[in-house]
Amino acid sequence: MCGIVGFLDKTHNAHAAVGSVLCAMLRALGCRGPDSAGVALYGSGEAGDLVLQIKLGERGDFEARSQEIVARVQGLGTLRERSRTAAYLRLVLSDADDPRQVERLIEADDHHVEVVSMGRHLEIVKQVGSPQSLDATYGVSKWTGTHGLGHTRLSTESRIDLSHSQPFWAHGYPDLAIVHNGHITNYDTMRRRYAQRGVRLYTHNDSEIIGVYLAERLSRGSTLGEALQASLTDFDGSFSYLAATPQALGFAKDPFALKPLLVTETETFVAVATEEIAIRAACAGTYTVREAQAREVRVWQR
Amino acid sequence: MAEISYEGQTTREINAALRRLVAQGETELVVRHPGARHNLGVATVQPVRLTFAGSVGYYCVGMSDGPTVEIHGSAGWGLAESLLSGVVMVHGNAGNGAAASMRGGTVVIYGDAAARAGVSMKGGTLLIGGNCGYMAGFMGQKGTLIVCGDTGEAFADSMYETVCFVGGRIAELGNDAILAELTAEDATFLATTLTRYLNAPLPDPASFTKVVAGRKLWNFDQREWAIWREAL
Repeated sequence: MCGIVGFLDKTHNAHAAVGSVLCAMLRALGCRGPDSAGVALYGSGEAGDLVLQIKLGERGDFEARSQEIVARVQGLGTLRERSRTAAYLRLVLSDADDPRQVERLIEADDHHVEVVSMGRHLEIVKQVGSPQSLDATYGVSKWTGTHGLGHTRLSTESRIDLSHSQPFWAHGYPDLAIVHNGHITNYDTMRRRYAQRGVRLYTHNDSEIIGVYLAERLSRGSTLGEALQASLTDFDGSFSYLAATPQALGFAKDPFALKPLLVTETETFVAVATEEIAIRAACAGTYTVREAQAREVRVWQR
Repeated sequence: MAEISYEGQTTREINAALRRLVAQGETELVVRHPGARHNLGVATVQPVRLTFAGSVGYYCVGMSDGPTVEIHGSAGWGLAESLLSGVVMVHGNAGNGAAASMRGGTVVIYGDAAARAGVSMKGGTLLIGGNCGYMAGFMGQKGTLIVCGDTGEAFADSMYETVCFVGGRIAELGNDAILAELTAEDATFLATTLTRYLNAPLPDPASFTKVVAGRKLWNFDQREWAIWREAL
């Protein structure tokens, strides 16, 4: 199962109520997967600062780890904001010229710590538990922005913890996030191939490989649409997945249409979700909804 | 006419209310705000008129026998699965597996159908006003599948005796699916069915392509191993 959702505001409002829409959609899909919930939200990025959401561990002394991390990033940029909520440390850095170096230093020598998201627009929070508890902990429904993704998980093949939850940020590639419903059945082969090239994978969740794959394609100059299209032949298995960058929101559906994905587009918004019930629960108005077809790829530019 | 509102009610409460009203002799029922919930109106076995004033979720009116159902919105997976008799009309699009295993009656989708529409049909008529997705008609045993628009790939794969008519372009024929000549009887049947359910302008029955099983997969033949390997 698993439920995935995506929403894009088309009114050029940099502070649209994306958080509350994503939360409403996820609540409606909560019964598809009670193991964990998460959202990836794209803000306006007006200040041009680098925003990091850092997991401090599954347990332990979070405050001590926060202080160590803050000490490590000194000198890599100006620390403009610092706050801690539950297992997350959120940092805002200005003048950070080398985001990859920031990520490397934060995660150095501490396997508890993971940069869950990094970018000038993107912020991810995810945790074990329901969409309701995600909202209660992080106040996601008050977040505003331009577009975003959400996920509610039924774990089938890998561990239930924060890192194995979705959305996945594509580590090392700022501002790229994915959510996936399905199974990538050639995951082991792809994982081995990436590992041989020195790519670090943070989890044993097959969905993580999608972000890694797209990041590689985008780094080589593909558009998001081209990368999604190529994934239809490079991935085996069942999948409906969504991917987002600061400029775009897109989806790809497997050649056998094994996983659902419902789509609607109006003058003012684009909404996609595993079930129509999520779209109807979150988006008022009169509009039609259709199911994506096998092999369908679609990208909306902001 | 009795009305039920979804708001504040569970699917079980809506379905129980429907059953209670039907048992009390109501013959026309309207469900307001169905909210794309699953399993609405499943196993409605009386000849009542049932209207959903909005989208419905999975398995709507599956295993029903005799009702006349209108859905003013779209339908999720497994619409009217195993329908025995009656008419189900969707004034929108339908998700995967619409009318799967239907045994009788008529299912009309005015918009598009997603993958696997009419798989394993055992009777009745599935009429799709728009396009259909991947593998429609797969393993169809009896009945008629009409697609006014285009089909997806693997159309009419591994069929028995379902007969298909396509008004638009066939993306790809499935295993053992072959084109057949449209007879005068076929054209009359199409004209009657299209006139009954669709609004003008109607497509010209003579423009439809007929697809049936080539019957090569009905019995195993070692010499046809290649096609068997593909089909299995």
